[in-house]
Amino acid sequence: MSETSGNGSDILCVLSSNEWDRSAEGLVGAGRLLSDKTGGKLIAVTLGEWQDSALKQLGARCHQVRVGQTQVSVSGGIESMLDYLVKLAEEIQPASILFGNGTVEEEISPRLAFRLGGSSIGDAQALTISNNRIQVTRSVYGGKATAVMELQKSPAVVWIRSRAFPPAGPLPQSGSFETTVIQETSPESIELLQHHEDASEGVSLEEATMIVSGGRGLGGPEPFEDLKALAATIGAEMAASRAACDAGWVPHSWQVGQTGKKVTPELYLAVAMSGSSQHMMGITDARNIAAVNTDPDAPIFKHCRFGIVEDYRNVIGPLTEKLKSRKK
Amino acid sequence: MKLLVCIKQILDPEIPVRDFSIDREKLEADSANANQVTNIFCENALETALQLRDSVGESSITVICFGRESAEDSLRKALAMKADEACLVMNDLNHTPDSATTAHVLASAIESLGSFDLIFTGRESGDWGNGQTGAYLAEELKVPYLPFVDDIKQTDKGFEVRRQTESGWERYGIPASSVVTITNSDHNLPRIPKTRDIMMSHRKTITRVSFEDLKIRKDELNPQSDSVRPVKLFVPEKESACEFIEGENLNAKIDQLADKIMEIRSTL
Amino acid sequence: MNPSDATREVLWNISNSWIMYALLLPTLLIAGNGILLRIKRWKKGRPVDRLDRPLERLQNVWRHAVLQRRTMRNRYAGIFHAFIFWGFITLTLATTVVFLHHDFGWQIMQGRFYLYFQSLFVDLLGLLALIGVGMAAWRRAFLQPRFLVQSSEATWILVLAFIILGTGFLLEGWRIAATDDPWGNWSPVGSLIATFSIHWMSVETMQFFHWGVWWFHLLLVFGFIAWAPYTKMLHPLTATLNIYAANLKPIGASLKTIDFESEESFGINRLDHFTWKDLMDLDACTECGRCTAVCPAATAGKSLSPRDIILDLREKSRISNKRETTFSDPIIGTAPSLSTESLWQCTSCAACVESCPVSIEQFPKIIDMRRFQVMEEAVFPEPMQQALASIESRGHPFSGSRFSRLDWTEGLNIPEIKDRPDAEVLVWTGCGGSLVERNQKSSRALTKILDRAGISYAILGREEKCTGDPARRMGNEFLFQELAKQNIQTFEKYKVKTVVTSCAHCFNTFRNEYPEQGGQFEVFHHSEYLKRLLDQGKLPMKSSSDRKITLHDPCYLSRHNHMTEDARSLLQQTSSQPLIELERNRQNSFCCGGGGGLSFTEEPSEQRVNRQRADEILKTDVDTVAVACPFCTTMLEDGINACKGSRDIKVKELSELILESLETEE
Repeated sequence: MSETSGNGSDILCVLSSNEWDRSAEGLVGAGRLLSDKTGGKLIAVTLGEWQDSALKQLGARCHQVRVGQTQVSVSGGIESMLDYLVKLAEEIQPASILFGNGTVEEEISPRLAFRLGGSSIGDAQALTISNNRIQVTRSVYGGKATAVMELQKSPAVVWIRSRAFPPAGPLPQSGSFETTVIQETSPESIELLQHHEDASEGVSLEEATMIVSGGRGLGGPEPFEDLKALAATIGAEMAASRAACDAGWVPHSWQVGQTGKKVTPELYLAVAMSGSSQHMMGITDARNIAAVNTDPDAPIFKHCRFGIVEDYRNVIGPLTEKLKSRKK
Repeated sequence: MKLLVCIKQILDPEIPVRDFSIDREKLEADSANANQVTNIFCENALETALQLRDSVGESSITVICFGRESAEDSLRKALAMKADEACLVMNDLNHTPDSATTAHVLASAIESLGSFDLIFTGRESGDWGNGQTGAYLAEELKVPYLPFVDDIKQTDKGFEVRRQTESGWERYGIPASSVVTITNSDHNLPRIPKTRDIMMSHRKTITRVSFEDLKIRKDELNPQSDSVRPVKLFVPEKESACEFIEGENLNAKIDQLADKIMEIRSTL
Repeated sequence: MNPSDATREVLWNISNSWIMYALLLPTLLIAGNGILLRIKRWKKGRPVDRLDRPLERLQNVWRHAVLQRRTMRNRYAGIFHAFIFWGFITLTLATTVVFLHHDFGWQIMQGRFYLYFQSLFVDLLGLLALIGVGMAAWRRAFLQPRFLVQSSEATWILVLAFIILGTGFLLEGWRIAATDDPWGNWSPVGSLIATFSIHWMSVETMQFFHWGVWWFHLLLVFGFIAWAPYTKMLHPLTATLNIYAANLKPIGASLKTIDFESEESFGINRLDHFTWKDLMDLDACTECGRCTAVCPAATAGKSLSPRDIILDLREKSRISNKRETTFSDPIIGTAPSLSTESLWQCTSCAACVESCPVSIEQFPKIIDMRRFQVMEEAVFPEPMQQALASIESRGHPFSGSRFSRLDWTEGLNIPEIKDRPDAEVLVWTGCGGSLVERNQKSSRALTKILDRAGISYAILGREEKCTGDPARRMGNEFLFQELAKQNIQTFEKYKVKTVVTSCAHCFNTFRNEYPEQGGQFEVFHHSEYLKRLLDQGKLPMKSSSDRKITLHDPCYLSRHNHMTEDARSLLQQTSSQPLIELERNRQNSFCCGGGGGLSFTEEPSEQRVNRQRADEILKTDVDTVAVACPFCTTMLEDGINACKGSRDIKVKELSELILESLETEE
């Protein structure tokens, strides 16, 4: 197969998170973007336990929903899941298989592509079809450049920044449902021994609408306590730059950037961080970026809507107090 | 125990914006004004392997790199960090192949080197950042695969590893001969080599492997044969419209900052 | 009474004086053993050529041992030390005269020489010594300067000195009184005591006491002589030797070069890897504490103390003396002063070396020990690791800098040497001058001045690499030598003959350290070069400003190279106001905190060296602080901004101030 799309080719969207959230909306939106162009069907594949209401939302927007019921947890049953997806893809022969962003999706995409003889790429910020081939726009060189990559072998397996894509509206006709029980086909060579969630109150970083983030300039773990107090005041989540995570000041699950989370809040308040291009790759889809930094020429300000040139030590405490009083 | 670490040499991610330019013909970054460095995650991978060797003893670490002539520097640095063997798979192609092709070449080279108890790669590279080579390599070698690992211990059955997830971490048991990709953590920052080891690294031989040695036909490797290829590469325009909050004094400035934050918050 | 007959009876009132001679032998044996033990220790050190150029060395001995010039820099301590020093030297000479007169039969202790020298001068100098001892005791008991070491040894030395001097005067007084010495008045202190004694003592009593005190005095003196080589009181000897063997090169050239081909261990972690001069340093130390009192890290409240490093090493060498093998024991981390934490606080400012009255080289030893940690153990602070890793892979220490080496030239027409190979001078911008935003302004100013002066210059641009100064001071001698090799190759490629740089660190490395690596070119600090242009009439100054300027001398000019006046001459042209001197200026300048790799670290604000200097500057009423080094510029600007409050005070690089005062072009 040398062409990845053509008239009537179908598009598969694999949804592994089990709710109808912004991420799922974006993923389906991206799928529709492609299926509208190919003229084929958009087929949603769900993994994990889905609520009926969520499936209904999905059905309204896709031509078909393949409900994959699985006994094993997503991360513990990769081999069986891959086998299921390979079988499904061989049956449907889609032009493209889309995943959302997550460590599991990142893991599966290339392996699925390999098994299907297709091509794969990740972190897609935009999708187009050109010369019947799928093209993916993504940041490269640590955010210094943008590349358009062409996937030359079909199917094109792509994991996307799902929140960066607009949601799709309902189709005139709801899609059909088909349920399959995912069997344990291959023995799992990898055994899950322990699962640990970092303590976090509130929503996940990716879903957060307000984020307070700290960088290397904080100099240690203690100032993060002040940032936490600030975040708590406005109901924001906490994030950090790679430097702060690598230093062991905060857990790695807080890391935002090229190799951390890609976030899409309404407000991203960056405190004492310079804003390396690698970090900016994680917040390109933030609606508003604001910064507190002593260096007016710090690159972070080039991406900000507003900012204050000041030592964070003089700002965070009073700011928290003022926000507290404004809330009342 | 035999450990293998795949490393990649990349354009220095810290290259200043002014020195960064694009080779429009090759559709990759121009390397004229840039340093080449070892990809940081590959260094994390090597460090993790070194620590594993330190903890179990009696092991050898082979470092392999698919790259240009200049990648010898990265291999020498790995030897200075006390890797035992180094192997350079020479890329004398006119283009930089995609992850799938790279994994294919590496897999051939690894098979020619023998079998390994664990194969390490970095989770992704700081240049193209695809993060796929490790997965493709595992598929090529038909061995188990686990990405985003930041800690490894030897067990009776194989290895116990810690994998970072979006919201925390998980521990897995994995069998010998698996491929793991390594991510950064606070305990796998690459070690600083001792001066004597740097000096010794220059006296060690680096095994060179060519496409011919691997029976890979060079003429079959070109951008068109890759599964993914760049069709456009450009430096994005960034507009700066930051409003710097001014005020009579700090208090007034913070007041305005608070107003702006509350304004955004009220739209939620 | 004929003055030419004047003399006195030696050993008056003393019988059985052979006991004295019998006691002298063991005294000298014990003392000699003490001295030999020390020499044996020094011989365990490695060779270093410190006996060349004897004339210059003797000159140093004259200045600093005999005239006590460096000791005098501290007024109070300098005065009492000189009193005691000259006092005891004179008393020793006088005793020698007696010895020669009595035992050798050289009849010299008579006539006018006896009156002027042996009586009057010796008497007065003895009095000065007594006053000196009193001042010293007062300082120990009441003044108690911050970095003074209180030790029982020091107290005993003062007590002994006091008793020896005191009993000496009593003996003299009683002898004058009892013998009714006609020349007694020539010994004013003695005759004063004689006058008092006569009032309440009979001649017999005096004779009796004289006899007893004489033997007591003798025993004390002999005891002191025997004991001294085991205490810091050997320093009249060791310090003199040490001053003789001092480093004759500029301080900026005092780091040792390692031959990586032949050396077995890089850096130092055992006593016998130091040179014999390093080991002699330990025994020359008088514990005066001046090095620690001027050490910016110590005064900022950090744990580094150059004096304690010397004393702790000395302690180890003394213990080692007893068991032969221990000269090879590890030293790093075995005492608080030798902890890795302390060793990494040194800014390499060399204030310790400059302040030492006895020519001890403290900071090079710190670098020796850093070398061991970096090159042998590869364990050292993370910020330093980052800086060194960055130098290694990018050729500059500013990890994370977003600037390229050419960003500062934006909008200016600054030629690169590859485009202007015939340029008269190469302007070396340095990493600090090109990659740190604040300094880009000064770098631009310098090129504008050169443009106005009509100098044909060029820069290296992207081909510039760190000179290796920070690498060397952070202990990575290997990296330093690699960088030096590369830069020298680049210079040779472009046939560079003259280099001008505004970085005091680059300058020092080029001038003092590159020749040994094969660098054959002339280098000027820009203050030096611009002063020349001024003298040649190439800098057309217009009417000057009314800035109130002070100059912060960079350590790497003022101390490492004793260059202090060019910048001052230039600054005087830029303002109608007189230049204001800081309390600590020229060779006594106080570090900005940026040397030795410290500018790459984040320190707790209360321990920052630059704040101390900023406080000192803010005590004056200046509105402009002139600096002449990019590291000083950023460190001081940070310090001043943190401490100045609402005061209008600016940190300006020398070039910026000169450019302001240049006549605008027609």
